[in-house]
Amino acid sequence: MSIPMELYLPIAGNSVNIAAIFGLGGAVGLLSGIFGVGGGFLMTPLLIMMGIPPTVAAASDSNQIVGASTSGTLAHLRLGNVDVKMGVLLLVGGVLGGTVGVEIIKALRRMGNADFLINITYVLMLGLVGGYMFIESLQSMKKSKAPSEPEPERHTKSNAFARLVAALPWQMEFSRSGVRMSPILPLILGGLVGVLSAIMGVGGGFIMVPVMVYLLRMPMHVVVGTSLFQILFTCINVTIMQSVSNHTVDFVLALLLLVGSSLGAQVGARVGRKLHGDQLKILLASLVLVVMGKILYELIARPDVLLAYAGGH
Amino acid sequence: MKHIMLCTILLLLPCTALAGEGEFSVSPQAIQIHALYNGSTIRAEGIVPEGSQVVLRFLGAPGDVDMKQKGKALGLLWMNMGNVRFDKVPAVFLVASSAPLADMGSAGAALGMADLTGQVGIEPDDADRDVLLPELLKLKQDEGLYREMSGTVTMGPAKDGMQPFTADMPIPSRLSPGDYAVEVHALKDGREVFTASRAMDVKMVGIPFMMADMAFNHGVWYGVLASVIAILAGLGIGLVFQSKEAH
Repeated sequence: MSIPMELYLPIAGNSVNIAAIFGLGGAVGLLSGIFGVGGGFLMTPLLIMMGIPPTVAAASDSNQIVGASTSGTLAHLRLGNVDVKMGVLLLVGGVLGGTVGVEIIKALRRMGNADFLINITYVLMLGLVGGYMFIESLQSMKKSKAPSEPEPERHTKSNAFARLVAALPWQMEFSRSGVRMSPILPLILGGLVGVLSAIMGVGGGFIMVPVMVYLLRMPMHVVVGTSLFQILFTCINVTIMQSVSNHTVDFVLALLLLVGSSLGAQVGARVGRKLHGDQLKILLASLVLVVMGKILYELIARPDVLLAYAGGH
Repeated sequence: MKHIMLCTILLLLPCTALAGEGEFSVSPQAIQIHALYNGSTIRAEGIVPEGSQVVLRFLGAPGDVDMKQKGKALGLLWMNMGNVRFDKVPAVFLVASSAPLADMGSAGAALGMADLTGQVGIEPDDADRDVLLPELLKLKQDEGLYREMSGTVTMGPAKDGMQPFTADMPIPSRLSPGDYAVEVHALKDGREVFTASRAMDVKMVGIPFMMADMAFNHGVWYGVLASVIAILAGLGIGLVFQSKEAH
């Protein structure tokens, strides 16, 4: 008598190998715990490769991220890495921005060829964010090795932005992050990320993390915890919305993934603690660039089949 | 009600012979999708006139399929371009035969995938059938839902002008609940000498049934429950790690 390794997923309408799903969940959870990104941009394509329909893959992944980010947020809370005040402001901005983004995408679809714009936005965003983070962290790693080197003119570059930030009203202290700024700034930035992530159909962790690092000037470890905190609420919202309007959440699939990914996220939070901020940044940047390369390749190489089911991405 | 009556009639008859001499039975008579379902195998057995070749088909109900056609934008990038609707596309199309369909003349070819393309309609009317239909078949084959296998029906020794056959046909796990049909065709000298069909009911039972019912009929509760369980599982795993660390 052998242990059954295959499980039928009623919403996906397919059976999957339990061990493969656990493994996938664990690997993506590890990355999510280290970098504070939801991992949707990696998990969804891998699930599709395993034969899960695209819409079910994306929606079930959101459900899975709810569990993984709960576990990750808890781990980071204990380590004192969550700036709740900042997270809530970003979240409020994100929800408002997301609503605007959904309307933009509807308008684009009416005009036709919105998919083209989505993919191009994706490639450009990933390329810009990944490239900038990569170069910046490489420079600061070099700098820390040779401390006698003169400071480059980075301060003058951010001066205009810094003056604008300082001029905003209602300046307040964000003690966890050790920064002082107006709540308007995280609201606006959260809103912009919300618009972009709605257009691209992703959680936005990989854009939010660089925004917190470079524009809100938060320390990398607090960024990761706060990002997970915010992703938790975004994905609860997506899970419920998808369940109601599209019936695409496969709860069995999500549960399998999340057991794997919650374990991975716990390990990831500890691994991340051992790495330096610059190392974290350069690893995340490499990951983002690899994903960008994959999307770019798919855009240029001739697909196997010249048809795709409507309703997916 | 109509559906139940039809099933009852079909269950009472050993098989519904449409033409010619012969008979066949199929087991199991229905497929139940339970929590550990991972595809199944159906067995068809029967007798047909001596010297004929047997074609076994497992067919899903025909329906409309909405697709996006991929094309090259700006001469460089592959994108989803136009919308295409295929109609009368069988959900599943599995064919097993005792010899290659191509060797059975036009009657044999009419039972295969190649003939299917003649029955499928495409919207818009100006869509390129010669390009799109082979792509549709390729996609369905990649999904394991369309398949043609020759030599998988075994013919037994002939007796009294009749010949027995058996075939085991694997059914993919990617199967939606619904009404399916199992057909047997016997061909001899390029002509059909026997045809019969049995209905095959595919339904979800147990946990998959309960979950699908909740997801489709009580979406809000399903979504809330899915989120709550995910949070509890995440918290549970987090706490396990915390207690381990404390020791």
